[in-house]
Amino acid sequence: MSSRDLAAHSQGSAHPAQLADVLERVLDKGIVIAGDIQINLLDIELLTVKLRLLVASADKAREMGIDWWEGDPFLSRRGGDGNGALEQRLRRLESAAGLETEHGDEDGGRT
Amino acid sequence: MTALTAAATGWYVYGVVGGDAAVELARDLRGVAAERVRIVEHGSLGAIVSEVPLDEFGEEALPERLNDRGWLERNARAHEDVLQDFAASTAVVPLRFGTIYRDPTAVTALLTERADAFAASLEHVRGRVELGVKAWTDRGAPAARPRGAAELRATGRSYLEERLHEREAAARAGAKRFEIVQAAHERLLALAVDGVVNRPQPRELTGRAEEMVLNAAYLVPAGDSSLAREVALLDAEGRDAGISFELTGPWPPHNFVDEQVDRP
Repeated sequence: MSSRDLAAHSQGSAHPAQLADVLERVLDKGIVIAGDIQINLLDIELLTVKLRLLVASADKAREMGIDWWEGDPFLSRRGGDGNGALEQRLRRLESAAGLETEHGDEDGGRT
Repeated sequence: MTALTAAATGWYVYGVVGGDAAVELARDLRGVAAERVRIVEHGSLGAIVSEVPLDEFGEEALPERLNDRGWLERNARAHEDVLQDFAASTAVVPLRFGTIYRDPTAVTALLTERADAFAASLEHVRGRVELGVKAWTDRGAPAARPRGAAELRATGRSYLEERLHEREAAARAGAKRFEIVQAAHERLLALAVDGVVNRPQPRELTGRAEEMVLNAAYLVPAGDSSLAREVALLDAEGRDAGISFELTGPWPPHNFVDEQVDRP
């Protein structure tokens, strides 16, 4: 049975593998083995917080005045310098957006 | 030769398979960092690996890369795709993203140390696939409002009564949804070898207006469509209550390989 056959049974899933599903499985499931290179889990936590904004809510984020990804060299994949300043700005904007709260819906907006 | 290049590259491990047919399967596959996929064999086991550049996958570089959405998506999908390719024709035990060793000797050591656990996991998932099932509901789907509500607005008292009715109706609808989802999981579990309920994904990640109320995965025999049919049935049944069901997969058995694992 192909994934296409199975997907045909489901409602409204045009894409067999949505990014959220892939990330959930690949980053959060599977056997965890500490290899020689250590990934800091905190880095991934931070990342999922960012993804919550990036993947889906660009419009909502913009409404809240958050548009840092447009100039973020990491996220726009341009590389580049001045990371320190951008990182700081990123952190400021994130905390202003209430991204440290547990639930995205409660993001309270700017101070 | 590999020992000499070990300073500049690491060995990324996707998962573990039975060693026998795996080498053939790895041919021509490309994985993370678009690197060639190969098998490190030991005994009856094989580790699916790629040699990866440490300037991308090293300890200092990786945290930065993980926060690059493009990089992460590309490589997370590459990890998944490699596992999918193997899972299509053999039993595979997925490892979490980012398991990296300095040299192939360390990969062999991993296979040696955990031979029994890997063999047991492979046995558990052999001939089986993981299916994902999600249930969605409209947030605050309006519970049926009492008829003639507009006329009742005449007095403050009736207004309050109306609000109270609405709140009670919403609570009833919520309880009803919970019941439906709970019952659905039990029905699906009855058709599966194993099942697990995960945390619903936040709306920001799903990009959908509806709220996810069930995020489950089930291990079923490959080629068995009874669970898929049940999901379609649940979806039809749930329509009146405003609950839709969605099937994803088949996936490599990410959710069903950690029994023997000591999470750090």
